[in-house]
Amino acid sequence: MLELYTSEPNTFFLKPLIALAEKKAHFTTHYFDAANFEQFAPNFPSDLPASLQLEREGPLLVDGGAIISSTSFMLEYLSESVPGPSLMPADPYDAYRARAWAQYLGAHLGSIVPVLGCAKYLQPQLAALDPALVDRQIAAIEPVERRAGWRALRDGTYSTAYLESVAGRLAVPLARIEKALNEAPWLAGPDFSAADIDAYPMLCVLPDLTPAAVNARSTPRIGDYLARIAARDSVREALRTAKTAHPERHFVPGIEASRWG
Amino acid sequence: MSVTLYHWEPNANSGKPMLTLAEKGVAYQSHYLDLLQFDQHKPDYLAVNPDGTIPAMVHGERVFTESTPMMEYIDDAFPGPPLKPRDPTARWRMRWWMRFFDSYFAPSLSMIGWSIFIGPAARQRPAEELRAAIDRIPLESRRIAWRKALFNEFSAEELAESKRRVTFATLALERHLESSTWIAGDTYSLGDINGFNLGYALPLSQPDHCNDTKTPYIMEWLRRIYERPAARETWAKGRTQMAARIKILERGPRA
Repeated sequence: MLELYTSEPNTFFLKPLIALAEKKAHFTTHYFDAANFEQFAPNFPSDLPASLQLEREGPLLVDGGAIISSTSFMLEYLSESVPGPSLMPADPYDAYRARAWAQYLGAHLGSIVPVLGCAKYLQPQLAALDPALVDRQIAAIEPVERRAGWRALRDGTYSTAYLESVAGRLAVPLARIEKALNEAPWLAGPDFSAADIDAYPMLCVLPDLTPAAVNARSTPRIGDYLARIAARDSVREALRTAKTAHPERHFVPGIEASRWG
Repeated sequence: MSVTLYHWEPNANSGKPMLTLAEKGVAYQSHYLDLLQFDQHKPDYLAVNPDGTIPAMVHGERVFTESTPMMEYIDDAFPGPPLKPRDPTARWRMRWWMRFFDSYFAPSLSMIGWSIFIGPAARQRPAEELRAAIDRIPLESRRIAWRKALFNEFSAEELAESKRRVTFATLALERHLESSTWIAGDTYSLGDINGFNLGYALPLSQPDHCNDTKTPYIMEWLRRIYERPAARETWAKGRTQMAARIKILERGPRA
């Protein structure tokens, strides 16, 4: 039996929900509020890969005894283990492109989008809580890399200048996506695939977070691409799991920025 | 369709497709690029990979530039022994560890390697020449990384954090290999190829943290991979002292 531990359907949490809906899979849901530290509760599933996963906060899929973390690889796991249409392209070159996109966008959107989203939505939310309680919650987080994502929010590391420089780093990946979508309808080629399920949740929040970078004039192909994916039944079904009126404002720390600069 | 591989030493990212091709028994045309002569930023190579990163593989008309997905492609597209486990959970575990190696362990280990070995060697050349070489790098993020590496612009805190992460990741790997023969489980896979390229010289570069007493499972795992014919063949293509470090994995005479 598949069990998905998930929070509001946004960014990393949206990906497996779309994949499961594409597969028409049966699964049970354990909902938690990731913005309220519920994933650190003592009875939450945990093992070494789950606690060290580089997405830091994100959904977990429990299948029998295995805890599957890291959403890009969770999508491949679902593609391979759940009956229904494959989510990975059959052609090895297209499968390479799907994996190369997931790796590239993980590093370049997965580390940027959560920073922008947390600064806009999570930071004010945390500031409204009892500071002593928040400090205690953050101090207890392990490992230290995961704690650092929360501490940056608490300490006001995200200045306007910092956020501008972070948003500036979106230019290269966005231009690459725009170019790819000029050449093929989907990221990995002719067919919708896990690469699109992986990319969509990170891209669809950008018109709100950085309207100057993602808009009808500067990124027309991305706009059309987002509309095509939003219209899929699987995406509508995934979004119906929301418990708040604005799941698109639900952000938690994501992938750490490269330590090389 | 012929295969051409543009690579540096059998080490880190370059060694990943080299060892994978050798394991699959795929013959390839080898183009050695000297990373420290900045061959990867010269026009001939930028025509192949405009990002100027190595390795790159050309199979027929198609170009591959991301080394870990490249390994999966080699396994998918060519006959030869399968290098991914059949079980989806084992495959997921293989991919999880490859990401941990690529994005957590390797960047910290290479920061230490650059600060101690490669940076000082590169600085034998005039600073002007190095600066001009950096200016030719196409991607800004790579220019920043190369500037840090060549001029040793790592702060004491950054280096201390990298050392902490290397020690931590070494222990995590040891714990994993205590209960798992190979990275993905019972079978040798791309996860081992990836991890070997990262870690074959750990007993030499991190002697206090990776040795027969503290990390016996890592040591045995590295030696088992070193003894594979494909690894012998691949490291024989090395031209410098960097690849020669692999000799640390020779088993000594048994008492």
